[in-house]
Amino acid sequence: MTAATILSTPPRFPRLLLPATLPADATDLAAAVGAGAFTGLRAAVEKLTSEGVIKAVAESGMIGRGGPGPGRSAGVGEKWRICAGTAADQHYVVVNAYQSDPAVLTDRVLIENNPFAVLEGAAIAAFAIGASEVIVAVRIEAVDAIRVLETAIAAAEEAGYLGSSVLGTGTQIHVSVRPLQGAYMLGEETVLIKGLEGKRGQPEQQPPYTTTRGLFGKPTLIHGPQTFAAIPTILNGGLAGFDETSPRAFAGTVLVQISGAVAHPGIAEVPFGATLRDIVEVAGGTPSGHKIKALLVGGPSGGILPVDGLDVIFDHENLERAGAHLGSGSIVVIDQHSCVVDLAAVLTRFCADEACGKTIPCRIGLRRLAEIGARFCDGQPRGDDVTRLLDLSHDIVESALCDHERRATLALQSVVRYFRDELDAHILRNSCPAGICHPKAETRAGRSPEASHA
Amino acid sequence: MRKPTRPSPSAPPAVDSAVAHGLEQVPSTNPVAPATASLELTRLENHDETAVDLRHLLRPAPNQRSTWNDNAGRVDSRPDAKTPFNTVTPLDDSRSEHLITAQAPQRPVSTPAFRIEVDGRVVEGREGQTILEVCRANGIEIPTLCYEPKLPGFGACRMCVVEVEGEEHPPISCSRAAEPGMVVRTQTEEIRRLRRTNLELIFSDHNAYCLPPCQNKCPSHIDIPGFLKANAEGQFRESARIFKRTIPFPSILGRVCPAPCEDHCRRDEVDEAIAIRDSHRYAGDKVLAAQKEGIEPPLPFETSPKTGKRVAVIGSGPAGMSAAYYLLLSGHEVTVFEKDELAGGMLRYGIPEYRLPKAEVLDPEYEAVWKLGGRLVCNQALGTDFSLDDLKAQGFDATVVATGCYVTNRINIPNDTADGVIDGLEYLKIATLGLPYPGHKKSRVVVIGGGFTAMDCWRTSLRQGAKEVTLVYRRDMKDMPASSEVHEAREEGGRAIFQAGPTRVIVDENNKVTGVEFIRMQPGAPDASGRRRPEPAPGTEFVVACDRVLLAIGQGPDLAWIGPGNEGVAAVKSKLRADAVTFETGRPGVFGAGDVRIGAATVVQAVAEGRRCAYAVDAFLKGNDLSELRNRQTLAEVEPIFLSIVPYTDEPKEARHRLKSLPAKERSKTYAEYEISYTAAEVMAESTRCLQCNCEALGNCDLRRLGIEYGTTLETLEPGHDQGAGFRSVTENRFTGANHDYIRDDSHAFILREPSRCIDCGRCAAVCAEVVGAACYDFMRTGFDTLVTTPLDMSLNDTPCVSCGRCAETCPTGALMPKPRVLEKYDVDESRCILCGICVDACPYDALRGGQDNELAHTDRSDPQIDLIGLAAIDRETEVTYIRRERDWMAHALAEGRLETPAEELLPALPPSLAGVIGDGRKAKR
Repeated sequence: MTAATILSTPPRFPRLLLPATLPADATDLAAAVGAGAFTGLRAAVEKLTSEGVIKAVAESGMIGRGGPGPGRSAGVGEKWRICAGTAADQHYVVVNAYQSDPAVLTDRVLIENNPFAVLEGAAIAAFAIGASEVIVAVRIEAVDAIRVLETAIAAAEEAGYLGSSVLGTGTQIHVSVRPLQGAYMLGEETVLIKGLEGKRGQPEQQPPYTTTRGLFGKPTLIHGPQTFAAIPTILNGGLAGFDETSPRAFAGTVLVQISGAVAHPGIAEVPFGATLRDIVEVAGGTPSGHKIKALLVGGPSGGILPVDGLDVIFDHENLERAGAHLGSGSIVVIDQHSCVVDLAAVLTRFCADEACGKTIPCRIGLRRLAEIGARFCDGQPRGDDVTRLLDLSHDIVESALCDHERRATLALQSVVRYFRDELDAHILRNSCPAGICHPKAETRAGRSPEASHA
Repeated sequence: MRKPTRPSPSAPPAVDSAVAHGLEQVPSTNPVAPATASLELTRLENHDETAVDLRHLLRPAPNQRSTWNDNAGRVDSRPDAKTPFNTVTPLDDSRSEHLITAQAPQRPVSTPAFRIEVDGRVVEGREGQTILEVCRANGIEIPTLCYEPKLPGFGACRMCVVEVEGEEHPPISCSRAAEPGMVVRTQTEEIRRLRRTNLELIFSDHNAYCLPPCQNKCPSHIDIPGFLKANAEGQFRESARIFKRTIPFPSILGRVCPAPCEDHCRRDEVDEAIAIRDSHRYAGDKVLAAQKEGIEPPLPFETSPKTGKRVAVIGSGPAGMSAAYYLLLSGHEVTVFEKDELAGGMLRYGIPEYRLPKAEVLDPEYEAVWKLGGRLVCNQALGTDFSLDDLKAQGFDATVVATGCYVTNRINIPNDTADGVIDGLEYLKIATLGLPYPGHKKSRVVVIGGGFTAMDCWRTSLRQGAKEVTLVYRRDMKDMPASSEVHEAREEGGRAIFQAGPTRVIVDENNKVTGVEFIRMQPGAPDASGRRRPEPAPGTEFVVACDRVLLAIGQGPDLAWIGPGNEGVAAVKSKLRADAVTFETGRPGVFGAGDVRIGAATVVQAVAEGRRCAYAVDAFLKGNDLSELRNRQTLAEVEPIFLSIVPYTDEPKEARHRLKSLPAKERSKTYAEYEISYTAAEVMAESTRCLQCNCEALGNCDLRRLGIEYGTTLETLEPGHDQGAGFRSVTENRFTGANHDYIRDDSHAFILREPSRCIDCGRCAAVCAEVVGAACYDFMRTGFDTLVTTPLDMSLNDTPCVSCGRCAETCPTGALMPKPRVLEKYDVDESRCILCGICVDACPYDALRGGQDNELAHTDRSDPQIDLIGLAAIDRETEVTYIRRERDWMAHALAEGRLETPAEELLPALPPSLAGVIGDGRKAKR
């Protein structure tokens, strides 16, 4: 089993994805059914039509864990409606459990501890959109998750919850696990589709969205496992129950991985609408002797928020506004011993190196951003590197193909936005307040092509 | 731009495409005509008569045209009517088209039409079309690099971004479906900026160059690799024609050009620079020799039809005559006004006979201008004999002032007007006519100056029998523009003193020169030109005794004519004020070019000025917007270049073939030309040394075209008033950083891969996989190091490549190119063959086969057997094209007599160092 601490949360935080008391054996179908598994699916196939399911999901106002995203449909229900409404001889449901962020294990932990919720949600979706195939895409390294999934699927098929005749209705829902080996970019949905098709993982321009033209050109519904796992709650407890769990208008919980300068790093289930301060407190707050300087929210392509960012409300909209995003659900607490300039440069370089290389702004642009970051760290920027950074970031965001390139620009942009003093210390005074970088005080004249051509 | 070969359904109603369009949706209710046409086409499809032009069959009989041609009149307008899908694609290359349409996005032709707004224009599109397809069908150009019309949009290059109203981020038009009522803008400031950033990013990792440095450094940007290639093939007339595209006078420039090109020749990396100037001199002389026998000189391009516009060119020097030449080619009527008795300007009156023979070279080469219809009016000087007002009154639509620089600078030292101090230009004017300058014989002469004029005064004085000629120059020899001539002049008996400046002229009581006092100069601080300014070293004065002093310390233009009758023009820094790009003076319709605008410069600079000025005048006469010309010409004049040199270490060394000279003793007595031209073999051998280091894709490169259009090749594009534009590396821009330097792969017989020029658009990979079915390429590696290449970077030979060439055809840059083929003869010694068959197995091209009777069969080059069917499952169209091309080549070669005698002398003469090295076992013939 994946070694990860699941943090206990205050009672006001609902536990919808990871039950407060975890089952001894997550693949024990009888125990799970006893705890209420597959009641949602039963309700769907026995009471509701596919329209009814979609209506219920739409009315819940649920938004996918990946966020609404630029140009995508507003909510989960809308996505289902479009997908179901697209005529095709085959529809697919894909559970995107690839989870690229190397430092985040939330999806694995969810699958290993509550596989039936994920399977049930995916089966409900398949029923709603008329798909007979559900594919769970998992990283090949996640051996435990794969084993748990396969055992759980076999058990559910045996019991007639999945397979050729779901709950005796004759509806076919076949679930298969697809372990994928590959690169960081496979987490992006169009890239994942390429990977499932056996091609090189490169994103495709959207629209056409995957809901109308996805896997093998067929309408495909893709969500993360956390989204699917929340579906049964909607059908079981109804909209009201789901809504009450959240202090804000929007409902639901999300798994986050808290690390960095906190007393108890680990995974926690937190509701949308909690503040970052609430979440950091779940992890025991900052140990003594450490002072919070910044928060990296969203994983390698996330944004770096200043200490004021603790008051930011943890949902898509507010995070985007603050210059970060929910991303992989990773929250790294940064203390005074880390240099944000160095951190941003390393993150940008990581994103540049992990890019699939398809588009020019991503392949070359991100690399140029990383180079600018490296020049900041070395204390040897070219004359107008800060302007260049902002201009290039803007142009990359505007002409980007997928969100990877858009979000990879966040880290360095946050440095300019929130940590200008620390940046200026590097580039103007050749000093690194945290003592991480070693900016050199070399003369800059003649080093840059701009200077020599002026 | 490449155009989609398939007629677009919404194309404007051009007859052919409309007919084809109509045919594709053969109306079931119109049984007569379609049935006939289908029959015809089916037959054709079966018989594969691709070589025949089938289009006449597609044209309907006149009485059916209205039904066929007109969408509104179609009978099958009911959208739900089931129309039989006609599989016949009625196009000239039916097979390939069929294959391609089978791969292209399936799209019924009769989808409903709708309207969208693009750049304020309402255009019609059809359901299923992308924004890009709608725009291109309506003649709206959106730049693309990765878009392959045969395949669905890919979206890698991000060049086709457009603004769509109501969208957060601009979508890319190649994969975004057009929707009714969409409002699209393709050329907003923001969109252009995004494209520009993109191009800059591409260029920052584009470790390649377009033009060779020689062509770049030539003020007139002659196609040097082009004419050297023609030379190497013995095509001297073609070589001269290529030269005349940018400079009308290959023989004159072949003698007097300082050849800045040769200073930047990449052959220098191997051994020595190519003798570029001497090579075009030979080609030019060939044309002149032919001209004597009545063969007209070649024209660089076809003369445009007469426009009826009249242009006056004032001055018949290199600038004026070059302007006249290109104006005549543009169809204008040109009259050249010359203040002296004969045409030529400085070429005639400033350059001595031994450097430029007048009757043998200057006059016949100028003949090319008169043959085009240019009129010459001599003995007419601007300001004294006529004015700009007069020209206007005479009905000239435009005037080019190219009066050159004729006023020698004053030296401003005591006694500088003494008897015996002579203006060098005045001296040359007499001397170059071959007349002895009075009193020059046996005199002692001091020439002051270090330029071309000084050199000419020095060497001409020697030829005129002066007893002792001393050249004194205030800087060092290496600073002299004409330093190459110093050694020759010294051989002829001249004396030279460097780093000394005159302080006073010493005179006797009759104010006659007896000597000049000089002072030694030492190098001081660098001046604006980067050269260290000479400063006098006190106490080092010395005297050179002499009878006369020739002053050649630079010249300026005579602008005394500016004034009444010539209003509107003005001087700046004692030169004529005229724009560096449009050549406009302050007076409408009057242009200034050459030395009068830029000050005394080289002949090649003057010629370049004249040509560019001619294009400006042409634009003016056609009523075009000159500011647009400024934009275009500024962008086009500047050529991107990458000066970090490709290491040509493997190239065999071969010394430069030098022109031979007459012995010094002989030449110092005569005005005859002292350099002896090449022989044909020599010039071919010398031209063969050219590395042809330009990009093979030059002229076909979309990246270069867009780079020029979007101005991303240079940061500062505006050239200074009197200098050419600066040059920078392609990779230098806002985003300069790490870049890739890949190794060229020329292991494949037909396709040359230059990955450094790859922009990772993925077109080759898509075409190879989706259209050809071979899948030789794909994106490899990740991040910045991603490259579209073969698996494991293996040789293309080891992939399933079928040599169809589609990858090279689709490549938007020069990363994949058809390889220039050097056909060589191979001998097979059959007496040694043991029929092991290893060669049959090994040959990737089935050149050897198991024949009948278990023998090996190989084919002879003289009887080309083009049999590609067996070697690859390539489609019919490629094969037909290939065969047609080969036959064309054969026909040409036969017609030009190149195949009749498969003679080695027609091939480039091999350098001696290559003899026996190539491994063909034969000695290369010289």
